[in-house]
Amino acid sequence: MQPNRMLPNRSRTSVLVFLLPPLLLYCAAVLFPIFQSLFLSFFSWNGISDMEFVGLDNYVRMFVADDIFWRAFLNALIYLAICLVLQLGGALVVASLLTSLRRGRELIKTLYLLPAVISTVAIAFLFVRIYSIDPAGLLNQLLHWIGLGSLERPWLSDVNTVLAAVSAPEGWRFTGLYMLIIYAALIAVPKELEEAAVLDGASRWTLFTKIRFPYIRPVWITTTIMATTYGLRGFDIPYLMTNGGPGQSSELLTTYMYKTAFTSTDFGYASTISVFIVIECLVAVGLILFLLKRKAD
Amino acid sequence: MKNAFRAAAAAAVAALALTACGGGSSTDPSNVSPTGEIKPREISWLLSRPADGAVINIMKKIADDYAKDHPGFELNLITTPDRPSYIQKLETLAAANKLPELFDTDATPFAQQLAKQGKMVDAEKLLKTLDVYDDYRPGALDYQRFDDGSLYMIPFQFELEFIWYNKALLEKAGVAVPTSLDDIPAMCTALRNAGITPIAIDGQDQWPLERYVAYQPFREAGPDFVQKLKKGEAKFADPAGQKTVTWLAELGKAKCFQEGFSAQGYSDAQNQFTSGQAAMYNIGTWELPSLATDKLNPDVRDDIDFFTLPTTEGSVTAANEFVSPSGIGMAVNAKTYDPLVSDFLKFALDKYPAEYAATGALSPTTDVETAIPANATPLYQKALDQADNLGSKQAMPWDTQLDPTTNGRLQQELVLLVQGNITPEQFTSTMDNAIAQNAPKFFK
Repeated sequence: MQPNRMLPNRSRTSVLVFLLPPLLLYCAAVLFPIFQSLFLSFFSWNGISDMEFVGLDNYVRMFVADDIFWRAFLNALIYLAICLVLQLGGALVVASLLTSLRRGRELIKTLYLLPAVISTVAIAFLFVRIYSIDPAGLLNQLLHWIGLGSLERPWLSDVNTVLAAVSAPEGWRFTGLYMLIIYAALIAVPKELEEAAVLDGASRWTLFTKIRFPYIRPVWITTTIMATTYGLRGFDIPYLMTNGGPGQSSELLTTYMYKTAFTSTDFGYASTISVFIVIECLVAVGLILFLLKRKAD
Repeated sequence: MKNAFRAAAAAAVAALALTACGGGSSTDPSNVSPTGEIKPREISWLLSRPADGAVINIMKKIADDYAKDHPGFELNLITTPDRPSYIQKLETLAAANKLPELFDTDATPFAQQLAKQGKMVDAEKLLKTLDVYDDYRPGALDYQRFDDGSLYMIPFQFELEFIWYNKALLEKAGVAVPTSLDDIPAMCTALRNAGITPIAIDGQDQWPLERYVAYQPFREAGPDFVQKLKKGEAKFADPAGQKTVTWLAELGKAKCFQEGFSAQGYSDAQNQFTSGQAAMYNIGTWELPSLATDKLNPDVRDDIDFFTLPTTEGSVTAANEFVSPSGIGMAVNAKTYDPLVSDFLKFALDKYPAEYAATGALSPTTDVETAIPANATPLYQKALDQADNLGSKQAMPWDTQLDPTTNGRLQQELVLLVQGNITPEQFTSTMDNAIAQNAPKFFK
């Protein structure tokens, strides 16, 4: 209750008054659509027909009778894993290297951050070209030059590579952003602590695992949550690059939901999928908090 | 907290109930000549046509002319050329009951539902009242009709789809123009052996590959097949269905399409053909300006020709019957149809054909002659001449026929089938299941 004591009595009300508009906005923009989806998920409705109450039919269909749903769910998890490795792993490595760099930090930071400010559509088109085989794109040309010609393939048409191929641009895109956040946390680690550890003969690895990482753990939790929720909501790049294809090889829950709603005009079932996505995101965040908090204790 | 939760839930339910009730009433769709005063206002046309294409340019001009005598009139053209995005926009607006005065749609099951609900003006009656019905090519109107023969969309184009080919490349591979659809797989093998890409295709947009699934059944069983298939009355497991499935698998095995085609777009495919890398390219007369004029790459200009859809042995449709679409049609919103919209349509439909034919395109009507552009190659005339000699049946593109969910699944599975990722048997059972699951909701 420390902050309250610092404020005069009546300002508690004024704080509430000032908090109310953003709260209402949040309810209207976030909570309301979620409840609306929940409501719609019990109906069969194509937008122009009469709404028909179907109870839990949509949920039964989703869990039992829809092969694309499970495929899309699995794809979404793989997509998430690739994004997390690239974004968090990549960010941590680059940020750690940056701290030991004496010159050119600003330049490297800017270069890494650059993809985050490029529009998604541009990135998608750029990568379609990079992965192309006919005419040979950058990736296939590189493989050819370094003598790995046997690996050349149409990355976006091959059902075995397409999911990784659409995940990589999303991962690459935000590595710089998370790098910046983690870098900011790393340079805040007190120098005295590190110096003391070095004097005690700690190796670089021990230094990292025992001092630096525990110190940045709160920031790490936040970035993990951010990256995970962004990853679970990933939509634009896969949608623009392959539209979920070939077949369902790069179909994510989000692209599947979008198609169900706006191509199949099955708004009821699409709402069911979106309810699943909301729950999936909440569960993911809960899991991250649980695992990382437990480790900290 | 609990109370807030309850309030929010109640608000959500109330808002939904309100939107659900907002259906509104529509006027009688068969009343095509509304009486009353013409009050000029701004009307909108939601369309899916090239932003700088002939249709939009001409309609802009016609609307300006009309506005001279009717101050206050304005035609607001809102175009979304990308078809999938357009369809999503249209369906969302229809769901919100916010369709504008005029809107584009194919004769899809979704459009048929709109028509059944009385949301579209009966186009056959409208055209007859305006006394222009008989000017239209029967094929152009038939393309716009629903299965029951009713007509709710007005065509603005007339196109013929051919298979364009490069004579020099065929010669190099030692193959002739195919006389039967069944010749094509062997032809592809020969072309591949000569180091040539047999067919350039735009895989990204999905409809080009979907054309190929329509060809064999159209020859084997006629235009009825897809009408039965979409309702579940015919199956991919039937002989005509199996023929197309096996044929597509053969096309895939013979590597007919360029490698990685599923990620290549419209212009990628056209470039492959016009740069002389690919031997064949299936596209309609809307590309005449780039394929039959001096805009075409001089290196291939003299080698380009076209053939129409080959027949097969025992084919029930004739060689002069193939895909001849009249493009996406324009529907008239029954709810906003009033003396002004009626009067403007009368003015516009009267002026449109002559203006459109002057641009070198085929008019959906027969009362005007297409002007051949000055820079045309002889192929231009040859292509237009095909329009005078058409049979009475036409192959419908399947993407306008199937329900949207089945259509989406078909487009996905086709790529897998042609790439060899699934067997013809898997394809057949997946698609027959998809139709059984989705068709009843749309065609009840």
